[in-house]
Amino acid sequence: MSELEFVSPVASGPLSAAGGGISLEDVSDRTKVLVRAGRDTAAGTHLKVTYGRSRRRRDGALICGSRPDEWTLLADPGQGTELLASLPDEGFVSVVDITHGRAMFRLSGLDTVGVLAKVCNIDLTDDMTPDGAVFSGSVAKVTCDLVRNDLADRRSYLVSCERSFGAYLFAAIADACSEFGIDVPADLTIH
Amino acid sequence: MIVVPCPNCGPRNSSDLRNAGEVAPRPDPETASLTEWRSYLYLRENPAGWVTETWYCRSGCRRYFTIERNTATNEIRESENS
Repeated sequence: MSELEFVSPVASGPLSAAGGGISLEDVSDRTKVLVRAGRDTAAGTHLKVTYGRSRRRRDGALICGSRPDEWTLLADPGQGTELLASLPDEGFVSVVDITHGRAMFRLSGLDTVGVLAKVCNIDLTDDMTPDGAVFSGSVAKVTCDLVRNDLADRRSYLVSCERSFGAYLFAAIADACSEFGIDVPADLTIH
Repeated sequence: MIVVPCPNCGPRNSSDLRNAGEVAPRPDPETASLTEWRSYLYLRENPAGWVTETWYCRSGCRRYFTIERNTATNEIRESENS
């Protein structure tokens, strides 16, 4: 799968508000690898992250504890083969490159909580979802996996969903951003 | 809104979950009579009071778990993984 050219489900480029309060970027081309394994397997021990948390590995891959006994690894585009090879596969372990099956967006800026609060029912306060938190929930009626992955100077979330919902979800989040200063292109309107 | 405590995710809006109904012990397939199978498949107590239910955390951890819920007041007192 990794050798296939990646075609994003989203046709639009990054969107950002003039004041810098919010930006929305399609990062669907990032490598995504799903691991299912018992915590007592070599893979579970290697990944080490509990459900609901994430950590950055030395090679730059972000390891997310996306469900009990399930992890999602996120890395730069084209890293699928390397990621798959880096994981121990002894025991009852499933490792699948899901890069082409998932869409992913990065929402960042001061107004991210305000935008997500319009379309998501998760409590986004720092004590419930601090930097590094991994959680799932409905975003604009689409079941999504979210990672709070703050950048150096601003709050940021990675939002991923099934690829087939990608175009709709990008447009729906862009629509929610319009209240915070983003000019939504005409081809992204959902009304 | 009913807040349901998922043992893995914590308290969640019930719209994030699915109620899979009362817990009914499965009869032994080797010895169960037709009446017992029918009772297992179709009949439930449905009390106005405390009941043990299975719920599915469809938006979160995607695990089944059981809770004790009062169907008259929606008070919930325990949850654990199935």
